[in-house]
Amino acid sequence: MDQMLDGGLIPGRPYVVAGSYGSGKTTFCVQFLQQGVRQGERALFVSIDEPPAELRENVRFLGWDVGKIRILDVHPAAKAYSKRVSLVEVAAQRAVGSLRDARADAKTESMKQMSPDLSPQSLQLMLKQELQEVKYSRVVIDSLTSLKRLSGEGEDSDTGIMSLLRFLSEANVTSLIVTDLPDPTVLEPEMFLSRGIIKFHRLMVASKTERCVSVEKFRGSAHDSLPRPLTITKSGVAVDANKKVGKPILRMFQAVPVDFR
Amino acid sequence: MGNLCSDRDLPFHPARHSMIKEKVKTGIPGIDNMLEGGLIPGRPYVVSGTSGTGKTAVAMRFLLEGASAGEQVLYVAMDEPPNEVKANMESFGWDISAVYVFDATPDILSYDKTPVRDVSTERKVCTFKAIAPSIRRTSEKGPADITINTVQEILKQEMKVRKYTRIVIDSVTSLRRFYIRTSEEYLALQSFFRLLSDLGITAVLTVQLPEVPKPDAESLMARGEIRLHKWFDGKGLVRGVTVEKFRGSSHDATMRPLKLTAEGVSVRLTTPKKRGEVKKAEPVEQEPTPDAVQQTPPEEVKAPVEPAPVAPPAQDVSQPEPPPPDDNGTPGGGEAT
Repeated sequence: MDQMLDGGLIPGRPYVVAGSYGSGKTTFCVQFLQQGVRQGERALFVSIDEPPAELRENVRFLGWDVGKIRILDVHPAAKAYSKRVSLVEVAAQRAVGSLRDARADAKTESMKQMSPDLSPQSLQLMLKQELQEVKYSRVVIDSLTSLKRLSGEGEDSDTGIMSLLRFLSEANVTSLIVTDLPDPTVLEPEMFLSRGIIKFHRLMVASKTERCVSVEKFRGSAHDSLPRPLTITKSGVAVDANKKVGKPILRMFQAVPVDFR
Repeated sequence: MGNLCSDRDLPFHPARHSMIKEKVKTGIPGIDNMLEGGLIPGRPYVVSGTSGTGKTAVAMRFLLEGASAGEQVLYVAMDEPPNEVKANMESFGWDISAVYVFDATPDILSYDKTPVRDVSTERKVCTFKAIAPSIRRTSEKGPADITINTVQEILKQEMKVRKYTRIVIDSVTSLRRFYIRTSEEYLALQSFFRLLSDLGITAVLTVQLPEVPKPDAESLMARGEIRLHKWFDGKGLVRGVTVEKFRGSSHDATMRPLKLTAEGVSVRLTTPKKRGEVKKAEPVEQEPTPDAVQQTPPEEVKAPVEPAPVAPPAQDVSQPEPPPPDDNGTPGGGEAT
């Protein structure tokens, strides 16, 4: 993967990781954080889609290092039950636990008591508080698509995302923003505000699921222009930057795909 | 409310048919060739493309071309912070230190009630040389407010300070999304274009397109559009450039291959590639032709969903040859009054 990016990502900038479900996005992101932990950096995983305990289960095979990845649980499970609290309160009540601490009963009573009013705004406030306490250098937000759905559409959502990305770059963290594959006719703000886009594809080729990854945009650096095959193994996602994807897959890239899923 | 006068009232004079004395070079010889010499001075143009097609690089070449001739040129940064633009352009080996830059990138919003101050009191135009390697921090006192009005004010003020000849707004997509209230979007954008032509600056505005481009207001308002393309041709990534629209000048109607390398952007003057010869019709201000790149037949697009062996008709399906552009060479002009 780093080979495709001509050495890796440029530090301190926000990037988008887009892909359909099951294409390896989350695993890739955890590996990105794990790499940071190995180098003695602080890494934060903001989990919206998955409860931390499940996430921990799922990526345990990546090794003991994942225990050091800190995880900010903003999973909105209990939303339906309780009354609303203000943004600041949400920020105050959110707890960061490391992946190791995440117990199976991750949803504690206190969490059920409140209703997280989750939006780019509140997430920015939470991250601000978090970053004041711990100096993270790598952050993953999984996923922005869920965040948007939860916060509802509207003008505010665009500016909120703009502000969130700005916040991440001012905080000098290298961040991966996970999204679904976007509707090709709609221009999502994170797509043109991010400094790079890595796309994960899961395709059906002759009754077989094939995965590949492509770098769509990477400002300020050379990068691989071809999609490369990706495999998910016991040790995570692996990209062979020297191997070409099969002809049938390339042919699918030929047209701008309207829908991969 | 201009003077009512038509060409028919006047005796023929060759001078009127060559009112455009000199064109403004874009800094990319291949594109200048396509534009029959360059852009018409004093008018606003759009450079459009999906992400990663090289819009910023093309826009920056346009400024550098002016700067190297001793002109004063201004870059208005709207989505990428100037420190990163600087680093990115330096990776091409370009020295952009003489280019003036106005950092109009928005601040982090603070969601508590800090007073919002006008950006013009907070930020000044400087050259890229003065841009620090790290990102500008949002002021402790709270965010500065930027709207399309403040950007216009700043441009007017700046024109009094220095006589800029070239300006880049990167990107006008951000300007629309974040600086204009939706209710007044069209009007505000139109007045912005009007201001640019009133100021008499040759302007290049970058527009970020979604993967499937739709006709949009910027392209209608601009006096011309240079569109950057990229797609896979079955073997690898191909890049191309087309002139979608160019008022008041004839131009190349063919898509030309574009190269984006470690040395920057270049456009070859010839078209050795078969695929590159997709001719594009130019119905200005009608529904824009679906992009040649994305014009590949729908059967092919659907193919991936089927588990059956994929055998799309692919490359051989040629595009229906569009009629040749009929307005080539017609002196249009007149918009920049």
